[in-house]
Amino acid sequence: MSLPGLDLSQPSEERQYAVAPPSQISLSPGSEWRFEVGFGHIVKVKILNGTAELFGTELAESQSYSFTGTKAAIYTWHGCTLEVSTGETNHMISDGVTPTAGHGAGGCQSEYTAEETPMVEYANVHFALETLRQEAHGAGKDGPRVLLLGSENAGKTSLAKILTAYATRVGRQPLVVNLDPSEGMLSVPGTLTAAAFRTLLDVGEGWGSSPMSGPSPVPVKLPLVYSYPLTSPLDADGSVYRPVVSRLALSVTGRMAEDEDARETGIIVDTPGVLSQGKPGSLELINHIVTEFAITTVLVLGSERLYSSMAKQYDNKPSSSATATALDERISVLKLSKSGGCVDRDAAFLKATRESQIRSYFFGNPITSAASAALSISASSASAITLSPHAQQLDFASLAVYNYTISAADDGDEDDYDPSQLTTTDSYLPGSEHSSSQPSQLPSDRAAPLPGVVGLSSNPSASSPATSSAQSNVPLKKVLPPAPSTLANTLLAITHASTTAPVAEVRDASIMGFVYVADVDADKGKIRVLAPVGGRLPPRAMIWTKRWPGEIVGLVG
Amino acid sequence: MSGLVSDEVAEDYKNSLEDLTTNDRFQISNLTVIAKENTENAMAISRVLENHIRSTPPPQKLPALYVVDSIVKNVGTPYTLFLGRNMYQTFMNAYTLVDSQTRRKLDEMLKTWKEPVPGSLDTRPVFPSDITRNIESALIKARTAALQQQQARGQPDILNRGWGSATPTGWTNSPTPPQNIARHPPIQPYLNNGHGLGTSVRILCASLGGSAVLTQSTRPPPQPHRPDANLDSLNRDLDALVASARTDFANSPFDPASQQRLKALLDLQGILQRQQLTQEQFKLVRDQVSALAATQPASTTHSPPTNGPAVSAPPVSTSTPPAQPVSQPLQQLLNPGTLAELIKATAVRQQPTPPPHIPNVLPQVPQIPQPNATPQPAVAENPLIAALRARGLLPASSAPPSLAPSPGTPVAGGPGLPFLMPGQSHSTPPVPNPQAPPPSNVSSVVPMNTASMKIPRMALIVSLYEARPNRCGTCGRRFLTTEEGKEKKARHLDWHFKTNQRMAEAAKRAQTRSWYVDERDWIKSREDGDDQSSVDPEATGAVGVDSNASKQGPPKPWIRAPNDAMLRNTPCPICQEKFESTWSEDVQDWIWQDAVKVGSRVYHASCYAEVTKEVPVRGGTPQARTGTPDSVLGKRKAEGTESPGLKVRVKTEPA
Repeated sequence: MSLPGLDLSQPSEERQYAVAPPSQISLSPGSEWRFEVGFGHIVKVKILNGTAELFGTELAESQSYSFTGTKAAIYTWHGCTLEVSTGETNHMISDGVTPTAGHGAGGCQSEYTAEETPMVEYANVHFALETLRQEAHGAGKDGPRVLLLGSENAGKTSLAKILTAYATRVGRQPLVVNLDPSEGMLSVPGTLTAAAFRTLLDVGEGWGSSPMSGPSPVPVKLPLVYSYPLTSPLDADGSVYRPVVSRLALSVTGRMAEDEDARETGIIVDTPGVLSQGKPGSLELINHIVTEFAITTVLVLGSERLYSSMAKQYDNKPSSSATATALDERISVLKLSKSGGCVDRDAAFLKATRESQIRSYFFGNPITSAASAALSISASSASAITLSPHAQQLDFASLAVYNYTISAADDGDEDDYDPSQLTTTDSYLPGSEHSSSQPSQLPSDRAAPLPGVVGLSSNPSASSPATSSAQSNVPLKKVLPPAPSTLANTLLAITHASTTAPVAEVRDASIMGFVYVADVDADKGKIRVLAPVGGRLPPRAMIWTKRWPGEIVGLVG
Repeated sequence: MSGLVSDEVAEDYKNSLEDLTTNDRFQISNLTVIAKENTENAMAISRVLENHIRSTPPPQKLPALYVVDSIVKNVGTPYTLFLGRNMYQTFMNAYTLVDSQTRRKLDEMLKTWKEPVPGSLDTRPVFPSDITRNIESALIKARTAALQQQQARGQPDILNRGWGSATPTGWTNSPTPPQNIARHPPIQPYLNNGHGLGTSVRILCASLGGSAVLTQSTRPPPQPHRPDANLDSLNRDLDALVASARTDFANSPFDPASQQRLKALLDLQGILQRQQLTQEQFKLVRDQVSALAATQPASTTHSPPTNGPAVSAPPVSTSTPPAQPVSQPLQQLLNPGTLAELIKATAVRQQPTPPPHIPNVLPQVPQIPQPNATPQPAVAENPLIAALRARGLLPASSAPPSLAPSPGTPVAGGPGLPFLMPGQSHSTPPVPNPQAPPPSNVSSVVPMNTASMKIPRMALIVSLYEARPNRCGTCGRRFLTTEEGKEKKARHLDWHFKTNQRMAEAAKRAQTRSWYVDERDWIKSREDGDDQSSVDPEATGAVGVDSNASKQGPPKPWIRAPNDAMLRNTPCPICQEKFESTWSEDVQDWIWQDAVKVGSRVYHASCYAEVTKEVPVRGGTPQARTGTPDSVLGKRKAEGTESPGLKVRVKTEPA
């Protein structure tokens, strides 16, 4: 249990920076420069000549790109020269991560040039997908739906970015679906998202940014966000994951049906690594995803074992789309090499990544992002986007906050020392699943039909009948006053569902945003929250993301 | 001045510079005025200028350098200092990459830099003389070195080939070159510029050029200058040539040489009839034509008797013999003569360029200058080429270079100055192979299976890079060179520009993360590209994803209250009443109800509608893309012509 403000990083005088002079790195064609930059340290990279791309997104020449808290690689097809230098250090560190300047060029923690990369394979995947897209265009079919599988740190998300970037570069508009709750895409961790990518990906920021009130130097992407505040899809035997995925797939299918560009380009689905580790139940979940998204191409990164089981199960089988039999649409399963550049990201790094995602949701880009730096002649703070969230007091009793209660053990782990928790025990005991205040509990967790998409809803939900009906209970409980003190320093996901909606609807509802609970005043029944947008919070059901991403300390001082 | 403002000014200046693609007097004077009014940011602006000149495509370097010229002459001091610092690199870089026509302009401009500003009381030269001297001596050095190198290589070659006998030895050492040299260069220079020309013209010039070589060798003592030459005689000669070429063509219709020759002559005739040539160019053409006419009977069918063994090559191969009169200008060039002499001499030197290895049987092979054949100064003006270009005749037959004015162009313009200039650190970076075949030519079918993934397909990478050579300098995005691609890029640049503007505005007020949309809106939403024409973002961006706002009927026009105190106190120009700021919950900002911004002024929407008798356009009128954008620097549009007190001298091309 940590208190806000007490475990801030030590004052920066203690840190030592060896400011490295700018160094030039020459890359021969087909090689890549891999680098790791710690949080709080900024490395600037400039392409002096040649062509270079970062995860498929081409870097502009003579523009300075800034990186912080990242492990990435700059690849070149034609050869290039890079200039690497140290950026000004970011002093906004308050998340307990000590910035570390490494000894590499520009202060990278680690950097080297690699000659062997799987980029030829990855590019070929793109070209093969292009072939399918052209066929789809000719035959009036849907574009390919790609599923990326592979264990943690196999480079799935990197490959997803490469495929997305290549597709946008040739004028396509892929729908990218992130089913990995451990990292957010255009949102915070603990969400499942989908977004159509038409424009450039933000080089420094990963996927880019969701819309803001002001302009952004890189076009913003509009995500559709669902809350999945659990670490692993396997939690609760997938009983939460499955319906949310179904709902997401339903929306994506709806978009595909209406958006011609997206339909031709198809879908790219990124998955959590835990699905590929052979745990019990994971194959069923993969099957669920393959079915819901009518996957046509399964790409397995690095894992021989998973590949063989996938090939056995899916290769050359008809896809689950409604028109699969008519058009003879078959699934192909491919094995791809894992890049030697994939490094294990340790828990601390992942935690810092999550926290920086949450921070930038509320406060904007922590540093001058690459593209914004590119827009002004000398990168200055003028172009870093700073967002101003609004703090406000809320009456907890007026809110409809729901929490996932999955197992006693899980609850115990986190709530051990919480006095308030003990006083309100009854609402947390897993045994007492039907709180009397619960307005209703629908016995089905099947995705409700989407508003406005009438004709389409039958297809995906019809294809997943067996999984859900058995589970009549949604492990989602309303949190009753008084406000638990563990609410502090966590996020509340505001759904689009009304406060009186049934729990299944709350679970399946898309998210309109997050508030961060800064303080809990249990006596007065008030909580102080940080909301991204000013004004009254919309009266909507909220999901407490207590488990995941959990506590974020020190977001507000 | 804070760094912030300086950056903004620089950014705006950069954007304006990027719009300057032609030698537009108006734009240049605007840019000069802006520079004049922002002398406190002179360093930033100078840096922008230097960067721009360095990075802009070669055809746009000249206008940018004219901006420099105009600024140093009209504004002077701070800029002379800042720009002078790197002028050597800036100038030499540009000089290396531009074509020979532009080089001449640069030479002229350089000359004016050595003199005092015209009309000024100050007797000092525009730039301190050490700067101009450095540049000049480097230019002379480079030319000389280029000549020497070619000399060293070319001469033995010629001697071995037995061509030496055709060249009067006296020429080699004569301190003054024969008078006639300058009159013979005309058409051959095509060979050097063949890269930028259409194939047919190129070859045909090659054949004409080859004939000319023969001509010269058969007539060692050329006629002195004919003072009475006129257009009529030229036309007569040309007519005769055309007639004879027609006969040749009729005799052997499948001989590519005669086809090409005929076409070239017809083209030349066309040019003459349009009478676009200057006296000087005309003279050159005339001499060449008369020379051709003289040897016409021998040129295609017979080997001139004096030519020795080398001439036994088939007629087409006349384009291949290397430098015939190579040696003569050496002495002349080693004397650092005037620029004019250099030009004349090098024009002659251009004759022999065709790389010897080009197969005779394949006349279509583009005669891209080979590295070993090129190091001759292309300082020489190619008047005919210039004329052809100016008349738009050449690009018609050579689409690729005009569409992709990237590194191909400097090569096309003239392969000269290939040597490292001292202090020249970088040139325009290579965009690989801008004229690579379009991707449609490559079989792009890649089967989706594991084995297929292992096969390297570099040819397909082209679709990601070379197929889209039209790059956005800011974000690296690539566009096709088609009309559509150009439009997209224009819209994309507009987007950048607007975003920049809006970001500068937005930095002054708090921004927030928007709520995510719900499923229905997401499904209905379409990604707004940065390359699509869209409604003014100020209007839609404020309403944003908040769908409630748009459901309440057509919203009244409003704008955000400006932050600038001056603007805030400016009344509506129509009713002279001030605007009232109200706080908007929706927008989370102070707004002016019933207001529209038209250009740089704010009106009451109702007043404006009344005056214009039109429905007020929501979000303002779509702004035309002007050369000088409406920006923090203020509107410049008509200022150059409106302010008589401000006389701006701008260097423009003589029309």
